[in-house]
Amino acid sequence: MRKLLLFCSLLLMIAARGYSQTRTVSGTVSDDKNAPIPAVTVQVVGTTKAALTDVNGKFSIQADNGQSLKFSYIGLKTQTIKITGSTANLKVTLELDNSALSEVVVTGYTSERKKDLTGAVSVVNIADIQDIPAGNPMKALQGMVPGMTIFADGSPNGAVTVRLRGTTTLNDNDPLYIIDGIPTQRGLQEINQNDVESIQVLRDASAASIYGSRAAAGVIIVTTKKGKKGVQRIDFDASTSLQFYNSKISTLNTQQHGQAYWQAAVNDDEFGPNVSNPIDPSVSNGIYTYNWNKNYTNPQLTSVNVPTYIDGAHTMLAANTNWFNQISQNSVLQQYNLSISNGSDKGSSLFSLGYFDNQGIIKETRDTKYNARFNSDYSLFNGRVKIGENFSATYMKDPILPVGSITILSIIENPMIPVHTVDGGWGGPVAGMDDRDNPVRLIEDNKQNVNAFGRVFGNAYIDLAILPNLHFKSTYSVDFAGNYFRSLQLPYVAGFLSNPANQVGQSTDYEVTLSWQNQLTYDLNFGKNKLNFLLGEENIKDKYQNFNASAQGLALNTIDYAYLSAGTSNVLAAGGGSGDALLSYFAKANYSYNDKYLASVTVRRDGSSKFGTNNQYAVFPAASLGWRLSQEDFMKAIPVISDLKLRYGYGQTGNQNIANNATYTLYQSIYATDLTWNPSAGSAYDINGKGSGTLPSGFTSVQTGNPNLKWETTTQSNFGLDFGLFNNKLSGSFDYFIKNTTNILINPPYLAVLGEGGNQWLNGASMENRGFEALLSYKSKIAKDITLGLTGNIAAYKNKVTKLPSNVLTGYPGNGTTQTILGRSINSEYGYVVQDIFSSASEVANSAAQPGKGLGRIRYADLNGDGVIDQNDQKFLGTSDPNFTYGLNTTVSYRDLSLSFFFQGVQGGLVYNNYKYLTDFSSLAPGSNWGTRTLDAWTPQNPKSTIPALTLINANNEGRYSTYFLESASYLKLRDVQLSYSLKNVFPKLKLQRAKVYIQGSNLIRFKNSSFTGPDPENPYNAYPIPAVTTIGVNFSY
Amino acid sequence: MKKIKYIAAFILCIMSASCKKYLNEIPQGAISTADLSTPANADAMVIAAYSYLGNDHYFFPFSSMWAYGSIRSGDAYKGGGGSGDIFEFNEYETFSTNNVTNGSTDNVWYQLYVGVARANSALAIINNLSVAQYPNKVERQAELRFLRGHFYFLLKILFKNIPWIDEIIPKSNYNTISNVALTSDQVWTNIANDFAFAASNLPVTQSQVGRATQGAAQAYEAKTLLYQAYTQDVNNNVISIDKTKLATVNTLCDAVINSGKYSLTPDFANNFLPQDGNSTESVFSIEYSINDGTPQGRVDAGHCLDYPMDVEYGCCGFHVPSNNMVNAFKTDNNGLPELTTFNNNDIVPSGDYQTNSFDPRLDHTVAIPGHPYKYQTNLVYNASWARAPQSYGPMLSMKEVVGYTDPSFKRFPPFMSSSKDWEVIRYSDVLLMKAEALIQMGQESTALPLINMVRQRAMNSTALLVQANGTPTSNYHMDIYKPGVNCTWTNAYAFQALMFERRLEFAMEGYRFFDLVRWGIAADYLNSYFAVETTRTPHLAGAQFTKNRDEYLPISQNQINFSKGLYKQNPGW
Repeated sequence: MRKLLLFCSLLLMIAARGYSQTRTVSGTVSDDKNAPIPAVTVQVVGTTKAALTDVNGKFSIQADNGQSLKFSYIGLKTQTIKITGSTANLKVTLELDNSALSEVVVTGYTSERKKDLTGAVSVVNIADIQDIPAGNPMKALQGMVPGMTIFADGSPNGAVTVRLRGTTTLNDNDPLYIIDGIPTQRGLQEINQNDVESIQVLRDASAASIYGSRAAAGVIIVTTKKGKKGVQRIDFDASTSLQFYNSKISTLNTQQHGQAYWQAAVNDDEFGPNVSNPIDPSVSNGIYTYNWNKNYTNPQLTSVNVPTYIDGAHTMLAANTNWFNQISQNSVLQQYNLSISNGSDKGSSLFSLGYFDNQGIIKETRDTKYNARFNSDYSLFNGRVKIGENFSATYMKDPILPVGSITILSIIENPMIPVHTVDGGWGGPVAGMDDRDNPVRLIEDNKQNVNAFGRVFGNAYIDLAILPNLHFKSTYSVDFAGNYFRSLQLPYVAGFLSNPANQVGQSTDYEVTLSWQNQLTYDLNFGKNKLNFLLGEENIKDKYQNFNASAQGLALNTIDYAYLSAGTSNVLAAGGGSGDALLSYFAKANYSYNDKYLASVTVRRDGSSKFGTNNQYAVFPAASLGWRLSQEDFMKAIPVISDLKLRYGYGQTGNQNIANNATYTLYQSIYATDLTWNPSAGSAYDINGKGSGTLPSGFTSVQTGNPNLKWETTTQSNFGLDFGLFNNKLSGSFDYFIKNTTNILINPPYLAVLGEGGNQWLNGASMENRGFEALLSYKSKIAKDITLGLTGNIAAYKNKVTKLPSNVLTGYPGNGTTQTILGRSINSEYGYVVQDIFSSASEVANSAAQPGKGLGRIRYADLNGDGVIDQNDQKFLGTSDPNFTYGLNTTVSYRDLSLSFFFQGVQGGLVYNNYKYLTDFSSLAPGSNWGTRTLDAWTPQNPKSTIPALTLINANNEGRYSTYFLESASYLKLRDVQLSYSLKNVFPKLKLQRAKVYIQGSNLIRFKNSSFTGPDPENPYNAYPIPAVTTIGVNFSY
Repeated sequence: MKKIKYIAAFILCIMSASCKKYLNEIPQGAISTADLSTPANADAMVIAAYSYLGNDHYFFPFSSMWAYGSIRSGDAYKGGGGSGDIFEFNEYETFSTNNVTNGSTDNVWYQLYVGVARANSALAIINNLSVAQYPNKVERQAELRFLRGHFYFLLKILFKNIPWIDEIIPKSNYNTISNVALTSDQVWTNIANDFAFAASNLPVTQSQVGRATQGAAQAYEAKTLLYQAYTQDVNNNVISIDKTKLATVNTLCDAVINSGKYSLTPDFANNFLPQDGNSTESVFSIEYSINDGTPQGRVDAGHCLDYPMDVEYGCCGFHVPSNNMVNAFKTDNNGLPELTTFNNNDIVPSGDYQTNSFDPRLDHTVAIPGHPYKYQTNLVYNASWARAPQSYGPMLSMKEVVGYTDPSFKRFPPFMSSSKDWEVIRYSDVLLMKAEALIQMGQESTALPLINMVRQRAMNSTALLVQANGTPTSNYHMDIYKPGVNCTWTNAYAFQALMFERRLEFAMEGYRFFDLVRWGIAADYLNSYFAVETTRTPHLAGAQFTKNRDEYLPISQNQINFSKGLYKQNPGW
């Protein structure tokens, strides 16, 4: 505290100088075509005095002789002009700034000029993504920022997973978002994409360290739009898209499925497990009958007979249902945004409304989103005090459907099952089929179950200019997000599946985060030295509570009736809560000498309620250096080099993303838990043997505390290079990083004798990532009226686990002893190697002992050569980490017409193709439908096939984790293509600032490696399929 | 200047305002160990230990042990949607593919130690309370040691070499206790001691029927000693039979019998119908419940896969009686089981249950096409209700299921089960344990009436086995053993009869495999079973029992790794 006092008094002394005489300076600002530019910021250097040019480019401002005026406008080169006694009626011409080096970049709590940056910071070009209808700006950024990987499925609400520089920890790898200065870990799908003014990605620790304990996985800074001084503006954006399902899996139709079953059965009879006791497939199937030659050594199929009805009760006519077609739709996505902004010397305001409506390509998955925003600020006391606020409200509605089940069911469900029975009920499985539900029923019977999400997120701040260069800012923020979900479970009968009970469920939860930030900033310029200081404090309290209840016995099966009070039996309630707090102090100093030598130091001290009193606080330091070589005289002699900067940064960041009470040993009164998929952890028991009624219950141990728990720490070094050549026509950057995470918080599996609650959070593991990121841009006029812009990026990293406690190794791929994940990527794959398919009796006889081996079966490699295929014949098979990821954005403009296309790709890495269980095998789920690939399976007549012979008995355990399911994850997608035309000059009388019509397409073209047998390597599991989207839209600004 | 000073002071004040208290976050909705040490909470901890008896699940059904004791015994196939549907159980059934990374093996080990830990946690709290504070102290200790004995017993028959952890050992030392620190025999003795303590300190009758009684503890102690009496060497060979222990078994069974509290129910069915729970035959039962304040009830999740695939049920066709076992229910002209020849003629393909004659227990145990399902004459079991008849044939198991209209029936889609209680030890088991001890002690004639008591009740249990028109479901012809009339009651014959009687009486109840291991015949028995059964069902292709290995499950590789090599693998693995 004493240091703080000292620092403050120092600042006060420095600032205690008086002001001198002033006069009015006026002039005009225009562009290189001599057209006046409105809203250029004119600032008296070293003061807060500023003015804006009007519509005619005119300005006037009070300044002293000897002071300098700085003219700045985004996208144009900033100019500084010194005022002398003779200065009058200035005429200033601002040139286009190709490199945008003067752009101001929001970094940690403050902003810096891009050319002063010493950390690895990516500035997103919002214009590139603003028209992509993704429902989440991060989703649209896929492939645009090197080192930032976005994993997204096609779900209409736009949720994504973001990874910066690979896997940082074994815990939560989500980055920290800073929205208008306020940290949050909620995804950006909850805010309006159109409200986003800028996105900065802090990739390395020297940049992110100021965010301390939550910054280990990277920081993404989002600033929302504000009113611009001197400008009154109305923006209107609208777009409509059509979406298509383009990743359907090719499944068998009714005839084909019958044929595949027959093949599997006669294979078993001919050379499979039934060879000593062959069974006629017509007998074993029960539904299909076959005309065939009944020759078990040389079976020939004449025809497959499908009965009229598939059930004995004659309610289901045999159908030929394509379930993918039944669940999917071509659908419409609409977006509308309106914003009105206003700005003057006294303040500015922006008001916006947004509506997003995505019907989804799976029926009834429609997401609708309503956003409102009001950002404003007021300048008081001659600019000495500024108060402002940012406020946004979001309301989002999503039907909760079991989407994963629906997509996988579209493969599993037999084509013979009709969607509906003859009397309009639900079709469903009959004997001999898997016990899986009709996916159309799942959609129709759940569509009324809508989750409503609401969030209000606002902050208010005051900024005091204590002295012209000394500012104090205090920001208070409230972030309240809550869900309300009411569901009605309908009674149903679908084949042999049924549930006669109805049930209403109601759940609500809320999370509120209150944060208060206080910061002092001081700018000091003397000579060629520029110094900025920041001193800050932040405290954050987070609270979460939930409540849920259900009831049965509803008199009506309608959602309008389905409230808890309408339930007459089994009325049950449950709820819980948790909270955490953070208390932090931070300081930062930036120094630059002559725009040539740059240095930055930050330090943050964080305290978290999540850790024991012994380790509650931690310090996260960082430092970085930059050298703008291009400012050196010897470099200035080289004309091609317009900018060249070397950067080095070092810093530490933390992660505390674990359960709130990890330091305590706790019991909970758990009466009972859901039995469906897991054993009960409950402690209630019918000790009276009554069979019903309220039971006595006890306590369940839930965790073992660790009072010594502390942060995990990520230490990162970053070597960077920024360059601009040929007057910044060609520019780019290169970063190499080494990122070490130590004391990774793990909650490892433990010795079973400890029983329940033996789980304990420990600081146990270490991990390393090394990699590089490169970005190259070219922007030039290649002919009269034709501009070409190319931006390419590439990034790669290698992950390595460097430390794990020996007893937890079993929790990761490997055998836990001689082959472990240590020294390998955390994303390593481990399993059996498929050698080939047994194609002759002698091969079967002469190969290693393998339980279940036989003709047409997979031969696994005897890796240890001991003549037996067992668990010791597994090895590391590769990783799912890509070799590199890349993106290429191309823009060509001709006068008012602009065409851009963006390719994004992933090269290398393995993906476990989950779908293969069903597309390639008749034995892993003998009662389900299979993929058309089964028609090409191995038979003695088709010995070249790489698909094992169809069988109904999986004696060879072919579902084991093996190279059979590991396929290439490489892909290249045309993420975005856009053609736009500016109408600004078509209606000159309307004085439109912006008028654009465009057509846009997303995910229209997809290339994949031929070894990937599914439709989309980006989505190998049964997540929401990624649609192709075509959009038509308009942007108007008045 | 003054103003500036004020402002600075204000700012400094704000920036240092926060204090340590800010980071104090009290855990919500949780209770600490210290708070549990009250008599009321100690009582609750005892309930928590009881509740674990039924906290199992289909992937590790330790309440009934069907996946470990039934499908490994030749009595049942795994069932379900094919061999890949819970492949871990297929590995159990075929033995040859079983391995040290089988997930169910690791899980059941963990789950049973959770049971042990619940008992130990409660004991640790209760030990620190005085009788003055907690008048029920000793009785509750006895109950907890009974429960701990139960969980250890299951661990012992599954894994043989297990770490023994009691409430005295501090948790920090658990990682120093090896699974071979005690010999197999010492662990048996510890388990028996837990039951002996329980037997000495429990009342004959409990007002709360779910609690363990003296009779339950005596029966369980007898069961423990019966297993211990068949002494095994380190390679699982039965090398001698301890007559002293058998004498104690006999004494303990007598104590249960003479308590007068127990008797066989009039109909065999009473043991498998929900309304007859906690009957006179129930020596110790796991209590399940429904409409108890939970959406799904505290129902029997361990059996939730065992229902048929028709619309009244719908999932999942596991636990399928083998052809071999169905054949075992055939009776000869004298009404006695065909002890050695039963499997020569396979009844299943013909489905002829009228020309041949049967023990009535067949239709209590096995769902057979054309026969009423679970005594519901309006619901005739159909071959199409089987899940994967091409793999596992048309049958299903019935003792564990209930009628779909029964109030105890509960769906939790896609699964279903019931709140029917599950009997861990039935009185008929006490009778047959005593009979076994007597035969092994050379007193086969004293054993005869015990076996015949069990058979007589079975003979009488045909009232519910009728078709809709009132005719008997199958042709029942059964008699008791009558030496000199229908058999020659030698010691060897008596032991054969005893083994067979246990099979028929407890078929599909989950312990058959452990009987086979106890008797030392598992390898021979199962390999001859596979030799014939493989020709009847394709899914057993490659099945083989490895002697001196497969008598016990391996110690899970996970546990060996978590113990950093302190745990030693079982022989043969």
